[in-house]
Amino acid sequence: MNAGAAARPTPAVRLGRLEALRHRPILVACGGLVALAVVIVAGVALGNVPVPVGETIGILAGRLLGWPVTATWPASAETIVFDLRLPRVLTAVVVGAGLAVAGTTLQGLLRNPLADPYVLGTASGAALGAAIAVLIPVRLALLGFGLLHLLAFVGALLAVAVVWRLSRTTSLSSLTALLLTGYAVGSLLAAGLSVAMYASGAQLRQIVFYLLGGFSGASWPQLAVATPLVVVGSLLILARARSLNALLIGEEAAANLGIAVRRERAILLALAALVTAAAVAVSGLIGFVGLIVPHLVRLLVGPNARVVLPLAAIVGAVFLAIADLLARIPGELPVGVVTAIVGAPFFLVILRRARGGYEV
Amino acid sequence: MRDPNPTPSYRPRRGTSIPRRFAALVAIGAISLAGCTAAAAPTPTASATPVAAEFPATLVDDEGTSVTIPAEPQRIVSLSPANTETVFALGAGSRMVGGTDADDYPAEAAALPDVASYLGVVMEQLVSLEPDLVLALGNGGETPADVVRIRAFGIPVLVLYAEDVSEVLADIELIGAAVGEADVAATMTDAMQARIDAISAAAGAAGSRPRTFYELGAEPEIYGPADSSFAADMVALAGGEPITTGSTTAYSISLERLVTADPEVIVLGDAAYGATAEVVAARAGWAVMTAVKTGAIRPVDDVIVTRPGPRLADGLAALALAIHPELVLP
Amino acid sequence: MPNGYELSGVSLAYGKRTVLDGLDLHVGAGECVAVLGPNGAGKSTLLRVLTGHAPERRGAVHLDGIPLEEYSRETLARRVAVVPGEASLPFAARVEEVVALGRIPHEDPFRGMRAADHAAVAAAIERVGIADLVGRDARRLSQGERQLVVLAMALAQSPRMLILDEPTVHLDLRHQVDVMELLVALNARDGVGVVAVLHDLSLAAHFFSRLILLDHGRVVADGTPDEVLSPERIRAVYGVDPALVRR
Repeated sequence: MNAGAAARPTPAVRLGRLEALRHRPILVACGGLVALAVVIVAGVALGNVPVPVGETIGILAGRLLGWPVTATWPASAETIVFDLRLPRVLTAVVVGAGLAVAGTTLQGLLRNPLADPYVLGTASGAALGAAIAVLIPVRLALLGFGLLHLLAFVGALLAVAVVWRLSRTTSLSSLTALLLTGYAVGSLLAAGLSVAMYASGAQLRQIVFYLLGGFSGASWPQLAVATPLVVVGSLLILARARSLNALLIGEEAAANLGIAVRRERAILLALAALVTAAAVAVSGLIGFVGLIVPHLVRLLVGPNARVVLPLAAIVGAVFLAIADLLARIPGELPVGVVTAIVGAPFFLVILRRARGGYEV
Repeated sequence: MRDPNPTPSYRPRRGTSIPRRFAALVAIGAISLAGCTAAAAPTPTASATPVAAEFPATLVDDEGTSVTIPAEPQRIVSLSPANTETVFALGAGSRMVGGTDADDYPAEAAALPDVASYLGVVMEQLVSLEPDLVLALGNGGETPADVVRIRAFGIPVLVLYAEDVSEVLADIELIGAAVGEADVAATMTDAMQARIDAISAAAGAAGSRPRTFYELGAEPEIYGPADSSFAADMVALAGGEPITTGSTTAYSISLERLVTADPEVIVLGDAAYGATAEVVAARAGWAVMTAVKTGAIRPVDDVIVTRPGPRLADGLAALALAIHPELVLP
Repeated sequence: MPNGYELSGVSLAYGKRTVLDGLDLHVGAGECVAVLGPNGAGKSTLLRVLTGHAPERRGAVHLDGIPLEEYSRETLARRVAVVPGEASLPFAARVEEVVALGRIPHEDPFRGMRAADHAAVAAAIERVGIADLVGRDARRLSQGERQLVVLAMALAQSPRMLILDEPTVHLDLRHQVDVMELLVALNARDGVGVVAVLHDLSLAAHFFSRLILLDHGRVVADGTPDEVLSPERIRAVYGVDPALVRR
């Protein structure tokens, strides 16, 4: 400007520079989709019990595409591939995508890089709901869902609703109020969970398995219910990417950019809670995905929510599908353990090498 | 393509059609049964002949679920060591195809493929074994969702849970009916009941009924029988007055409560984990108990005492001897 | 014919505390004014009134002849841009991405930025003179550079008027001068109206031809620096020795 010594690139050139960066997201998206396809195929082909690749393809062709194939494989192989593995892999994909999208949304909404989908009480609410379901001697089987899934879903949503309601009565700034209320309510619910676990006696194992998270119970009916919730919720969030972007520089600045901040915050929070609740209802509490995947994607393509949300969904899906595959091959490890073991070192490496790109 | 006309003796569950191989297995089973037994074997198309034919059988498991077993099971999977022992004891061990990683008796049981562990059932392996009967453990042993899942695949599952000794015998008879060895089971349970009664009578006639603490563990808390639990029932039958935790769901007992109860005999159910009389006597605060003062601390093989299976009478005998060492048992 | 802001009888009270007291003001669309006053005079509140963030106020506010309440949030954001005083970013963002946020009131909610938006961003970057900062992480800039970036962001909104709340508070002298010169140039060359709350009287007097002095929620002086910053006025409103204010 007033030091105008160096020759400045003309506006046309500068525009070109800005435009060039737009190709990276497409590359990441394509790479992600390819990886997703590979992981889905691998997830269906691999498992505890070896099923020859030819049989796998035959089974899928017969059941999915309706080709009239003659069964040269045992019926158990068909059950394994189509009723056990395929819904499980697809559930991991859906849950991974959902958690990543919810994590992105909450991080943007709360303007906090340490936020994850569980930060406003969803996890504690779901866990307590699940624990109560285990304790109640009522057995419900509806569309492949048990009382546990139902109460976990309801618990997650109720917890967020309570946090939202309570946070509005404080005098703190809205974001601080949300975070602190979320922490307080979450702690209270966790205490309730401890009591429930103590009183559970022999049922404790069930509760613990829920807390650790996993896809061993995945089935087609569950997938059929969870998928629309996650997909529709995520699309609705994507439609509001503009609001998430505006919040980058602060709530007041976002308001000055024409965003109805309070309304958008409520809507985005509700959508993120819905997606998270659907995810935890079918898979239990799986950590790490919602926290790390958004950062990973932002490292590659920047903070624009319109780009980050779909890419985070893809990367989250791939990540969790791989984690589930690794968890299931040696024998049922909890998926949450695998996501941490796989994800943490990977992320540390990325952090160290992120020099020319975006830093966290 | 699926067999569009499954044999009438099957009743497909919840819309899933029964795999063809089961039909083949039943046919083979039916033919071999016809060869082996004098009774009329159930043929795939004939309706059940009276009296001797045991299958198809509809049994009610310990959760109250009505389970239909279409034909005598040839591929049995057990999800608990007790059930495994029972199946072997009934002579159907050769028809077992899968068990748990905790199966240790008889020796052949340990060689069975493991489809379940403490972490749960590995569905793929269970399904790949193509079982026609699964024996599960109730009350939290198997997650209800897993049981529902297995049943959804068209596999009959019996959930068994014995809360006291009489229920153990009932479960053995239930398993007997399920695997087509009802007669053997009846004989076995009669013998077990007689022996249990005899041991119990002898123990009752011992002249004393000491307060007995059956120790399940001591780290990090003291673990003992819950109120009205199986272990408490066994102790009572063995001629002791069981000291319990005071709640029906908690297995931990505070040292204060134990000291107040003042056991006269301590039976070490955790002997296999290193608990000995010396170790117990050395524990802080335990020296005041009568049992420690008199040295009445005796180990038992916890497996036969608490496993609800065919060796229960042996376990009762061992327990009775631990409580009343001077006893002479029939 | 756009005629800028017209305030008449604007009052605002928080509970018992009156912040703005029957304020009358007219700022033409293309004017360049500085708003001055001691702490608590109501300067920031006045800005909030102008940006439509004070629904509890009484009195009438018109922008270009239309009552302010009748503007949708987006329409207002396309006309008036607020330069934030502090901008904290929770995530790394490139300078051009921060500037691009200014296009939010204009961009298609579903398809995002199009060619025209990119052009506006590029133009704003060049106009503010931060082309050499393009590609850098906005969080790693100096405060002066960051202030220029948010100024470019506001400019990318293609506003008819810029509103600034103490834009020079954290800047060193050189950057303060940069910002002031830029504002004057934007007003003179591009016809963008400027309403800037400033605390530095000398700076205001040097760069702005119209000063508005607030005290206790009222306009006590409105005119050229000479008129407004007379020694008596300074002593009366600020309570300090007028000689401290050099011009």
